[in-house]
Amino acid sequence: MNGSSLAAVAPELLRLGVGLLALVGFIAANGMLLLYVERKVAGHVQRRPGPFEVGPHGLLQAFADAGKLVGKQLATPAGADGLLFWAAPLMAFMPVPLMFIAIPFGENLFGLQTNLGLVLILSFAGFNVLALCLAGWGSNNKWSLLGAARAVSQAVAYEIPLLLSVLAVALMCGSLDLRQLAGSQGGWPWQWNVAVQPLAFFIYFVCAVAETNRAPFDLAEAESELTAGVHTEYSGMGNGIFFLAEYANMIVVGCVATALFLGGSQGPFAPGPWWFLAKMYLLVTLVIFMRWTYPRVRFDQLLNLNWRWLMPLALVNLLATALAVKLAG
Amino acid sequence: MRELVVQVSFALYAALTLGGAVWAVTAKSLVRALLGLTLSLMGVAALYVLIAAPLVALMQILIYVGAVVVLIFFAIMLTRAQAEQEEAGARDAGRTLRAGAAGLVVAGLLAAACLRHGPKIAGTAVEVPPSDIGAAFLGPYVLGFEVISVVLFAAMAGAVVLAFERRKPR
Repeated sequence: MNGSSLAAVAPELLRLGVGLLALVGFIAANGMLLLYVERKVAGHVQRRPGPFEVGPHGLLQAFADAGKLVGKQLATPAGADGLLFWAAPLMAFMPVPLMFIAIPFGENLFGLQTNLGLVLILSFAGFNVLALCLAGWGSNNKWSLLGAARAVSQAVAYEIPLLLSVLAVALMCGSLDLRQLAGSQGGWPWQWNVAVQPLAFFIYFVCAVAETNRAPFDLAEAESELTAGVHTEYSGMGNGIFFLAEYANMIVVGCVATALFLGGSQGPFAPGPWWFLAKMYLLVTLVIFMRWTYPRVRFDQLLNLNWRWLMPLALVNLLATALAVKLAG
Repeated sequence: MRELVVQVSFALYAALTLGGAVWAVTAKSLVRALLGLTLSLMGVAALYVLIAAPLVALMQILIYVGAVVVLIFFAIMLTRAQAEQEEAGARDAGRTLRAGAAGLVVAGLLAAACLRHGPKIAGTAVEVPPSDIGAAFLGPYVLGFEVISVVLFAAMAGAVVLAFERRKPR
């Protein structure tokens, strides 16, 4: 109509557009960085230097890897459903930037102002399972299908204690807004939610590692028994996009843990985005260390751990939190 | 400007919903039909956002795409359908016609009822904060809320009974 009505729409939209673009860059840069960190950690854990030849201390190895992935031929397996096969990596990656827009990296550093940030991230995280299902089904390969079957039962199981542990914190703070949740905590570690809700943090962390299909819970891939599970038939960038999505999901998980349990961008002396990033990268490094330290669990152990331990513990924790909130309020 | 954006996005989301639904019905492979269903559910979620109900939209994605579709997928895997196989048999033209007519009658009746007796459309939808929705569930609508929990509990108990029943004969 006129300039004023355009201005009413524009600022939020502009923020969203710029935020999404920046976040895609952030995700891609982090994919490279984490690939390097992972290979270095893997190397040192196994008493070898890791990548060392490309650039000083192998710093440019990730670029070489990316070039190799992009340059490879994309093959569709014979007899596979091409549409489902190629929809899967897209579906694994596309929701990822959307999950990032609600994360408060700093006091004013966020993509979208919403009072439902937590629900937004949890709901878009569900696409990952569907992508793994389509990948497993579309590949026309029995290992892929077995991987998909595992992915489904694992993701459906671990989603429940994850939601319950997150709910306990949301209940305590009375909000689903990640900015508000992060802002309600103090600067020092004993003022963070992890000091009040250590059990919820532990449950969340274990479930998050399982939900992102990271070792020791990477049963959907399990290269020793299923070659590469759902990723078996993907070549070049098909595989690369799955990896990018996996690393991005690790960062989302780390960001949510930071905002919910570790005080977000609050920190001693100088609160700011640097504290947020420091805590997030600490958690992500911990996840990478876990992968190279622990052996993969068996599938029955994985499900037993969830249904017999994490789920009842999460329920008890939620009930206790509700009771405490009611008595205190 | 704003009105135009809303109208265009409504058309897009409606097309997504209906297109996904048509795909789900006409696809020959079960998993492709499931993908169509997912598209349709996403379209409905987008329509919820358009009427300023983001909580309902996100719940639609969390529950339907994240859980229900995945469960349907699990059921498809149990049917031992092959990835390259087309499950649907040859289509009979008369049957398609009759099914289309039956669908159109229901859609027409609903549309006529909505157009004639529907409430006046509010100019701008107002977003309700989640705390108000929660308070409404535990306040004026508490009976319905609790009845739903009882139904869910009965369904869960039934599932457990069925699972143990099958395990016994061994």
